[in-house]
Amino acid sequence: MAEKKFKYLSNEWAAECTKRFKKELTQEQMKRVTSSLLTVYNNCPDGKTRSVFYKITNGVVDQVSVVEGAPPKAEFSVTADYDLFAKISRAEVKARAALMSGKMTLKGNLVKALRLSPIMDRLNQVMSTIPTDF
Amino acid sequence: MATKVTAKADPYFIDFPTRIKAIQKEMARENVAVYLGSRLRTLSWTVDAFCPWRSYVVIPPTGLPTAITFVIDAARVADDSWLDEEHVLGYGPMGGQDQVSLLQGLIMPHLKGGKGIVGIETGMGTYLPEGHLTQYEYECLKAALPEAKLKNAHEIVDRLSLIKDQGTINRFRHASRMVDAGHRAVRAAISDDGWKGMTETEVGGLAACAMRRAGSEWEWSFTGGNEIASGYRTGLAAGACTPASRRKLRAGEPLMVDLHAMFRLCLGDHSHNYFLGKATKRQLWHAKNFVDLVKLCLKTYRPGVTPTSLADEMLTFAEERGFAEYMVPGFEHGIGMMGDEWRIGLNDGPFPYWTNPEHVYQENEMLICAMQYACPEENVGFRYENPILITANGCEALSKFPLSIDVV
Repeated sequence: MAEKKFKYLSNEWAAECTKRFKKELTQEQMKRVTSSLLTVYNNCPDGKTRSVFYKITNGVVDQVSVVEGAPPKAEFSVTADYDLFAKISRAEVKARAALMSGKMTLKGNLVKALRLSPIMDRLNQVMSTIPTDF
Repeated sequence: MATKVTAKADPYFIDFPTRIKAIQKEMARENVAVYLGSRLRTLSWTVDAFCPWRSYVVIPPTGLPTAITFVIDAARVADDSWLDEEHVLGYGPMGGQDQVSLLQGLIMPHLKGGKGIVGIETGMGTYLPEGHLTQYEYECLKAALPEAKLKNAHEIVDRLSLIKDQGTINRFRHASRMVDAGHRAVRAAISDDGWKGMTETEVGGLAACAMRRAGSEWEWSFTGGNEIASGYRTGLAAGACTPASRRKLRAGEPLMVDLHAMFRLCLGDHSHNYFLGKATKRQLWHAKNFVDLVKLCLKTYRPGVTPTSLADEMLTFAEERGFAEYMVPGFEHGIGMMGDEWRIGLNDGPFPYWTNPEHVYQENEMLICAMQYACPEENVGFRYENPILITANGCEALSKFPLSIDVV
């Protein structure tokens, strides 16, 4: 039986992300961090802009939600084209390299963001294992 | 610095929130919507942290300012500053985190419809690390804030920082105590022929060690830290800048020891002079000229005096005593928190960005009483520098190391 694939940026994909993050990442691996992140996807295949909101409390990712329209406020926001995010989600490109290339923009305190970057790498690593239709 | 001074009773306490409010009041008076400070002196005076990397401070019309510095130093600046880490940001080569993007993000919310005056700091200076906005930064900001007007506004900070508050004065006094510790260590090391075999750099290092032991944060001067000169280097024509060299100290020569210490961004700067081993009658004549002139100068500084009136008086004395040709005709340089080193007073003199020779000293102004004696044909020179506080009736010399030119 073929493995189920999740459509990228669908609600099912977001629910799978939440499930896997909780299952595969310990609070210690997540440094017991409390924060929020918004990833803003420009130029989605249908031409729209979408956002994914991540809420992390004490090292537990307790919310991943796909948002169309006005996004909620977050401590950090990262903006890039859909294609670049897709490459990051497939672990083809590192988020840090994308930021350094200038193709991705970060809003928020850079000092704190750098401290959190290994955590984001861990999230992306888990995300890359989800069978996904991009 | 690491330990913040937050208690009002602490002798080194400076009321930074009140400083910021004073800037904001002046901004409102001059219709400046946002003030963008980039000079080292402005950063020291508003952030209370040493900012060695290119840094900025954005002061909104109300509320707390935000400092921006190179990301590798942002956490340290936040640790030293009275500002919290939410108000000290780091910049780096990342999308949205470069200098201009961060400045735009902090400035734009205070411009109605993107319009309004952004106060910037530009100009010219003899002091290399002044920190004026560069042409490139200016052009980038103009592009990022197309409807805003960028206006030179550094006079706001210059005016407000002219008269020193008690915490600043106390910090300066302490920095001078550190310099005095450096001088005591040098005197002890070079006395009784101890100077034999030493180099100028070694003398500078001995002093640095003693001052650091006393708590000095660094030998702050961009003129090579501690300036040590011996022999002909003390008497370079019209000279007053001598980074230490590897020159060995020699008998019968003068030695000039100009030390710099820093305590909480306030600066010690004192020079003392020696003859090594022996001195001729003629050398001692030069020395007496200089010491007498320094004494007269320290007696003369008081409110109401100007650089011109003081120079006239000193040069008249030098002429009467027959050594006018050996005096570099300047008797002061400015001083304030780190980065405020050269010009005295405001930028209101006949030559832009130079001290106004008619600047009238006021009580609680500080300056460096600075004199250089240079006789190149005899390879003799002396330097005196000492931070002085203009008091109600005279001045207080902050370094207390005894004034003399000793044969050691």
